[in-house]
Amino acid sequence: MSSRTEASALAADAAPHIEARGVCVDFASGRGAALRVLDDVTLAIPRGSFVSLIGPSGCGKSTLLKVLAGLLAPVEGQVSVAGMPPAAAARQRRIGLVFQDATLLPWQDALANAGFLLRITDRTRPAEAVRERARTMLGLVGLEGAERRLPSQLSGGMRQRVAIARALALDPEVLLMDEPFGALDAITREAMSAFLLDLWQRTGKTIVLVTHSIDEAVFLSREVHVMAAGPGRVLATLQVPLGYPRTEASYADPVFGEIATRLRLLLREGHAG
Amino acid sequence: MRQGVTASRAGGAWRIGGTGIKDAARRLRRSPAAILDAAPADPPDSEAAGTKERTLQPNQGTGEASGRLAAVWRAVLPPLALLIAVLVAWEAVIRLLHLPQYALPAPSAIAAVLVAKQASLAAAAWVTAGEVLVGFIVSGVVGAALALLIARFDRLGRAIYPLVVLFQTVPKIALAPLFVLWFGYGLLPKVVLIAVIAFFPVGLDMLAGLRAVDPNLVALMRSVGASRGQILWRVQVPTALPHLMSGLKIAVTLSVIGAIVGEFSGASAGLGYMIEFASTQLDTALVFAALVEVSVLGIVFYYLVELAERLLVPWSPR
Repeated sequence: MSSRTEASALAADAAPHIEARGVCVDFASGRGAALRVLDDVTLAIPRGSFVSLIGPSGCGKSTLLKVLAGLLAPVEGQVSVAGMPPAAAARQRRIGLVFQDATLLPWQDALANAGFLLRITDRTRPAEAVRERARTMLGLVGLEGAERRLPSQLSGGMRQRVAIARALALDPEVLLMDEPFGALDAITREAMSAFLLDLWQRTGKTIVLVTHSIDEAVFLSREVHVMAAGPGRVLATLQVPLGYPRTEASYADPVFGEIATRLRLLLREGHAG
Repeated sequence: MRQGVTASRAGGAWRIGGTGIKDAARRLRRSPAAILDAAPADPPDSEAAGTKERTLQPNQGTGEASGRLAAVWRAVLPPLALLIAVLVAWEAVIRLLHLPQYALPAPSAIAAVLVAKQASLAAAAWVTAGEVLVGFIVSGVVGAALALLIARFDRLGRAIYPLVVLFQTVPKIALAPLFVLWFGYGLLPKVVLIAVIAFFPVGLDMLAGLRAVDPNLVALMRSVGASRGQILWRVQVPTALPHLMSGLKIAVTLSVIGAIVGEFSGASAGLGYMIEFASTQLDTALVFAALVEVSVLGIVFYYLVELAERLLVPWSPR
């Protein structure tokens, strides 16, 4: 971890790492009237925590993540990441972003893809240093030996790991993930969940995960924000009182079942409303 | 957690090994040596999978090779048989009905002309090939440059694009006499005509390719401070290359048409000129012989572009 991250960690220990207050987002609809996608969303995410946003499709959870990433400006409300507007935080490479699709460049191998964002944003860093950093990150996500492979020669799970390595290469404080395992099969998903948890514990990043899988949310998160649609809003916030490290055995824990059931009921309520 | 970590690592290694085999099979089709180069790079825990790949190699290799030969044979045989049947029927009809040579020459007569006038046909083909080549390159450059301008500069693009589409509705072949009037009888009017005919598919496909980038990736690059130029050259242009190549394949066939039409309108050499001249002499066998050469020219150029595609865009799906 860089000294920059440590210094800001000391300075902003008490304040939430990511904060949204009264955030509203409108999309222009066809007939001229604006469509409210997010309505008065308020949440605070502490530094170093693992938080999930869960909700039915159309609840604006991906939109909220885009707002937190600085890709989308809200029409109302304030957002801050590490004490600054998210766009500024992104520009300072404090935010890593992973999408449902790996969005890799098909003509570049895993190594070049992992170093791609770092190379274009840090023009002072020599090419060899970028490659070295990318190689380290591929090692961190368990892809040593696959550096020379093209995306077409990697499995879906491996491609997603390259995308995670690409985000981590920027050494962000925050990792925002929009259904990163949504396109993977169930077995790979569970392996990727365990991998992500392990990665979180080794790096200490603040991770925000958008998901529609209840098991994934409970297994990974310290806190789950349940969202509802029409307009998108935060319905409830649940703590997951399960200690870390969590293992396969955690799925069988009665607390796991209890939280999962409460989530299920909340989601049904959100869906009906 | 200990448990969880080992399980996930084992899972990871197994998957790496699994794709290793599939991957090896894919690479094997290209070159058996590639897999041997790649083997040491495999992670140590997929060692078992690695050895399996290597022992599998010889069998799979020969199976692939003979299978491919059979596939080629299956693809070539039916059209070849049909072509021969048509030629035989054609020859038979001419001989049985005693049709005059100037109306429709027999295939054997065309073949005889192809051999007898070998030198002059080759000279004419050389001239036409030069026109096609230069015209094709100009159309490719113009088409790609227009697409880049339209994609890079929004306002300029909004001005250019409708005009380009409007221009496309003009029948370009009708412009050939004008180009002769303006540029004479040499190479230039042909090149201009070809460029005007063939730039459109290049520009259109290139533009579609430049716009086919993943919007999420572009948004991500913007958020970390990438410039528009970086996004254009590092993501949009490489993404557009496969599209550009399919545009070029259309353009190269249009280029041959453009060269022939250009020569019809005014020329002193080339296959189009030869066709025009031979038809006024009622030397129909020569017309057909020149047509054969035009087709050969078109096929050769087409496959050159396809070869270029394989070399330049190896990641393109096919």
